[in-house]
Amino acid sequence: MVFEVIKLAVSLIAVLAVVWLVSAMKLGREARIRDPAHAIALADEAEPGFGGIDVGLDRAGYAALVRNAAGRQMLVRAHGAQFAARTVDSRFTGRLDKGFLTLTPPERAFGSVTLQLGKDAGLWASRMRDVAHNAKPSAGT
Amino acid sequence: MPPQISPIDYAVPVFILLILIEMIVARRRDPARYEARDTLTSLLLGTGSTVAGALTGGLVLALSLRLYELRLFDISWAWWAWALCFVLDDFAYYWFHRAAHRVRWFWASHVNHHSSQHYNLSTALRQPWTSFIAVSFIFRIPLALIGFHPAMILACGAVNLIYQFWIHTEAIGRMPRWFEAVMNTPSHHRVHHAVNPRYLDRNYAGTFIVWDRMFGTFAAEQDTDRPRYGIVRQLGSFNLLWAVFHEWIGIARDLWSAPWRHKLSYAWREPGWSHDGSRMTSDMIRARWQAHRSTNDQDGEERPWTSSTSS
Repeated sequence: MVFEVIKLAVSLIAVLAVVWLVSAMKLGREARIRDPAHAIALADEAEPGFGGIDVGLDRAGYAALVRNAAGRQMLVRAHGAQFAARTVDSRFTGRLDKGFLTLTPPERAFGSVTLQLGKDAGLWASRMRDVAHNAKPSAGT
Repeated sequence: MPPQISPIDYAVPVFILLILIEMIVARRRDPARYEARDTLTSLLLGTGSTVAGALTGGLVLALSLRLYELRLFDISWAWWAWALCFVLDDFAYYWFHRAAHRVRWFWASHVNHHSSQHYNLSTALRQPWTSFIAVSFIFRIPLALIGFHPAMILACGAVNLIYQFWIHTEAIGRMPRWFEAVMNTPSHHRVHHAVNPRYLDRNYAGTFIVWDRMFGTFAAEQDTDRPRYGIVRQLGSFNLLWAVFHEWIGIARDLWSAPWRHKLSYAWREPGWSHDGSRMTSDMIRARWQAHRSTNDQDGEERPWTSSTSS
């Protein structure tokens, strides 16, 4: 039993050492959305055939809202060195503060996302009112 | 007296050494292959998995020994028995793994291994904590009923797991053709971890890729379709406990809210299934992608990726 505890402690130290090395070697820098075309491509990766036509891109490239011809919207944001996305539905809440739009998904682990959209923030906030009427099947797991 | 073999204990230092080498390669070729928080989650999932295994392994061993008492044949410890046990265990692994992707109850445990959006050697150690709850062991212990000693089955399973470590990498492109034909390789397993529609639910093999070729679940890595890793609905979180339990929580919520006649289907049907069609399974995603692809004729737009990313 003592040996098992020592083995576990050594494992945890090794884990922390490896993670420190990853950080020290500057691996996996934060991803950024380069431009609207990149945002549309990311939305298509999250949902094949999403077909974005309009993009609200955060000034820092941290996140984007992508809208398709059917009026559906997808929130794409950086997740470490990769990206994660969620279809915006009626369970999302939005908060507009001048040029900033904050979206909060129902899934707490995904976290709130604040986009600096400048003068377009109001437009995207108003579009959120329509999303409840445009819900379609989404990937389940 | 059966031999007491724990090959994984001896392999761990080699695992760490290979991870360090892969990190150096990543720094030179593609620094995005590693991410500190992702690596932390993966390695803690691996550490936690060994704890979970230590807590429940005794019960699985006891059950195996009970089955062994009822064995159909007396199989010796000869070399051919080891070889046969390894092949049959790998065959059992194929079916376990296939079920782990096609039955949500098993997926709830196995999803831990797939939830990283990175594909590197630390991903290999991203092992589940809840295999015992998912009763994943039922696929392997029938070997004891045939007559293989549980210690032999455990050792073969451990060697199989060790084999699968090195295939979790983007640092190796393709192996020689004869090797790719028979063995599971980094290329085949990248396909397995990918969420690109054409790759979903393919290449379940552990050591021998021949099982996928035999049972129609094989897909070759395409130079024009770079694998993107993770799960269809990416977690978007590095939270360790969320990574471990999110699918179990999802099952619990669905069991609670679904109509009575559909409740069990949320545990036993494939991931993504829903009684009202509000979600998508991997088959539905693939079908939609194929329909969209044929409409837009995307073939002409595809470009090779392997030359720039594999090393």
